[in-house]
Amino acid sequence: MLYLYALSEHPTVVPPTLGIEDTPLALERFDGIDAVVGTVAADRVDPSEGTILAHSRVVDELAAVNEAVLPARFGRGYSDVDALRRAVAEHADGLRQALDRVRGCLEVGLRALSSPPSEGATLGSGREYMLARLDERRRAEHVADELHRPLAALARAEVRSVASTPQLLLSASYLVPRDAVDAFRSAVRDLERSHPDLTLACTGPWPPYSFATAEIEAE
Amino acid sequence: VTLLELVDRVLNKGVVLTGDITLSVADVDLVYVGLRVLLTSVATLDETETNRA
Repeated sequence: MLYLYALSEHPTVVPPTLGIEDTPLALERFDGIDAVVGTVAADRVDPSEGTILAHSRVVDELAAVNEAVLPARFGRGYSDVDALRRAVAEHADGLRQALDRVRGCLEVGLRALSSPPSEGATLGSGREYMLARLDERRRAEHVADELHRPLAALARAEVRSVASTPQLLLSASYLVPRDAVDAFRSAVRDLERSHPDLTLACTGPWPPYSFATAEIEAE
Repeated sequence: VTLLELVDRVLNKGVVLTGDITLSVADVDLVYVGLRVLLTSVATLDETETNRA
């Protein structure tokens, strides 16, 4: 099976690393879009810590030496080069747009956690509870906006969800130009100082996993 | 937390082209079960939500 790690803008620099099951990497070129693949013996790759880390290591190393890389989602393989060629050709326009969008950028993740809800918060009538939840939701959206604005100014794109659980105020990924990653981290530190009641978890920089999806799937 | 973020990205994000193998939901769930020790923070959040619901 031809296992797909990532798509990349031609010409792609392939790092001297091994992929899943210690198989070597290879490059297939399709009209300006390169596919970084490896031949694995099995006809499917099961997710395990080893295979997931191998996939992510290949994508990390690709993103370190190439300007425009679209990580592939884990576990996708093709029976042969022609099957992969057809899949790439079918999405070629969307892929080119996505490569343009991520060029020169990495992804930075941010989660903002509020302090745990106080004991007894669930007591009281159903109406009080619902009003409290509504209030909580509005407050979460307000704080999420405060956090989001200075960071979005440093990012080319972002995806976020607000208050998916009572404690998780903001879960976001930002597409940040490589030369702005330090400024972005510094902006997060400023927010930590201005919001001492929140715990901010800033992760990355990652290859742009979160920005290699929507437009292509929407087609 | 970083490993959790990594697994979330590798399994749930990234380009998907047609004509490929897809993992079943059960496969993905198994990964999360296998990594449960690392998921304590998320489990705590879920538990909090369940208790409040």
